[in-house]
Amino acid sequence: MTSSERKWALVILVIVLSAYILPYTILTNEATWYGSFLLWTVLTLIIIGVNYFITRDWSK
Amino acid sequence: MTTTFVWLAIVIYIVIALFIAFLSRHGSHTNMDGYFLGNRKLNGFVSALSYSATTYSAFMLVGLAGLTYSGGVGALGFELIYLIGVSLVAFFGPRFWLAGKKYGYVTPSEMLGDRYQNKMVAIVVSLTSCLFLIPYSAVQLSGVGYLLQGVTDNAIPFTTGVLLATILAIIYSYIAGIRSVAWTDSLQALFMVVTSTIVVFIIINRLGGFDGFFHTLETERSELLTVPGNGYFSFTTFLGLTIPWFFFSLSNPQVSQRLFMPASLKSLRTMLMGFLAFGFIYTLVSVIWGFTASLQFPDLANADLATPTLLSSDFVPPILGVIVMVGIMAAAISTIDSILLTLSSLFARDVYRNVKNNTSDQMQLRVGKLVIPVIALLAFLFAQLELNLIAVLSVASSAGLLVVVPAIIGTFFWKGGTAAGVLTSVIVGAFLVIMLEISQVKPLGLASGIWGLLVSTILFVFVSLFTKAPEEKASEFLGYIKELLKRKP
Repeated sequence: MTSSERKWALVILVIVLSAYILPYTILTNEATWYGSFLLWTVLTLIIIGVNYFITRDWSK
Repeated sequence: MTTTFVWLAIVIYIVIALFIAFLSRHGSHTNMDGYFLGNRKLNGFVSALSYSATTYSAFMLVGLAGLTYSGGVGALGFELIYLIGVSLVAFFGPRFWLAGKKYGYVTPSEMLGDRYQNKMVAIVVSLTSCLFLIPYSAVQLSGVGYLLQGVTDNAIPFTTGVLLATILAIIYSYIAGIRSVAWTDSLQALFMVVTSTIVVFIIINRLGGFDGFFHTLETERSELLTVPGNGYFSFTTFLGLTIPWFFFSLSNPQVSQRLFMPASLKSLRTMLMGFLAFGFIYTLVSVIWGFTASLQFPDLANADLATPTLLSSDFVPPILGVIVMVGIMAAAISTIDSILLTLSSLFARDVYRNVKNNTSDQMQLRVGKLVIPVIALLAFLFAQLELNLIAVLSVASSAGLLVVVPAIIGTFFWKGGTAAGVLTSVIVGAFLVIMLEISQVKPLGLASGIWGLLVSTILFVFVSLFTKAPEEKASEFLGYIKELLKRKP
């Protein structure tokens, strides 16, 4: 793994853990659209951004 | 929906798809590389759409909508965690691609066999894929049968639907191998996402916009907006569902083989980013369908009826309903034809070539083409028989294929991995998953996939530590990839 890959892998790990932990803890009683629905949607959008950056220099 | 209407839509769909398939026939497809990998020259846009169509079967618009109907927002979390897992492609994609290009691998199991320097590795891994994916295809075929039977009130019998899907999957694979599959996939993916999104806009509009939609949900069915909510998505259930899918992009050969195909790293990037965007939209669409059905038809006998009921309700204009129904059928077929093609390449390349020595590329291709209808026939028969074991294997497919993941990670990241480690982890892991699924036992409340992954990882590491690794090959293989990634353009 290159050092930049390691950095991104860590970011992804944190996002994945949040996607498992937050909905079952602090959001478990938040029965609104801005509860788990919004969290998972936003985390996925962040991941799409992360993938954009990881692959930024795949130009050839 | 009237039967004539449905037939008309099906005929129009077939004519357009066949036209596209024939247009795709340019370029050479008379060798293994050409037929199964499109000469490694697929452009990014087609790769992205085809990857989407292959991944998303009829499961999404029927199954995921149904899962939302029964369990609420947890279904969204499940499917989005899968999508987050596709980030693995950002790490493994260039590695697969570089290795495939240098060593000429046609299948992922061929790569494992070469990397661990053992033919049995290639044979066992490819047979394991067939063991789980043929039943999975059979269930997809049955899905088409039930769908057509359901929406036409038995006017199109189950067998007719299954037969139709089988024949179309064979034709799409036969016309030009992966080229015709990729191009028809692309057409079907666009069709699926556009029509299903239109349905979302129509229903959201009818329910008073997004504000009205969520307000109704929050006041009438608030339990659907949290996990565990109504209890359906307990944390262990959620783990059991998401873990196998998180690794889907590596474990399932019909998608990991796609990593060999793009024309360049730039095309690979387009494939990944395009797929993520597609998956994000398609997931939201399917979940909104499920929510809508739970608001409008809260008393369905079976959650899988959520989508058919929604489509035949007065929420959706009848013509659009028929079009979307054909789109769901296309989604199933576009998954089956890719699996069909991948499995036949696995058989020709990893089983036939390794069992019978000195086979030419031409002979392998001939065997591969011969096997396509045989696998399709098997899937068709399994779909007809509706055996319990087939259903079990199909459900177990994402969990069962997970046992190959430690070996794949080891391929690129651990010099110490050995063939004995791979063979033990895959064979024992797959056996364990099947036994757990048949007996319906969940030790410690955890699903079969989690146990399969855990046991196969432990076995892979331990057996490897006590056996001799192919050091020369490992150093050469990993050294080459490291070198190229360092000066990655």
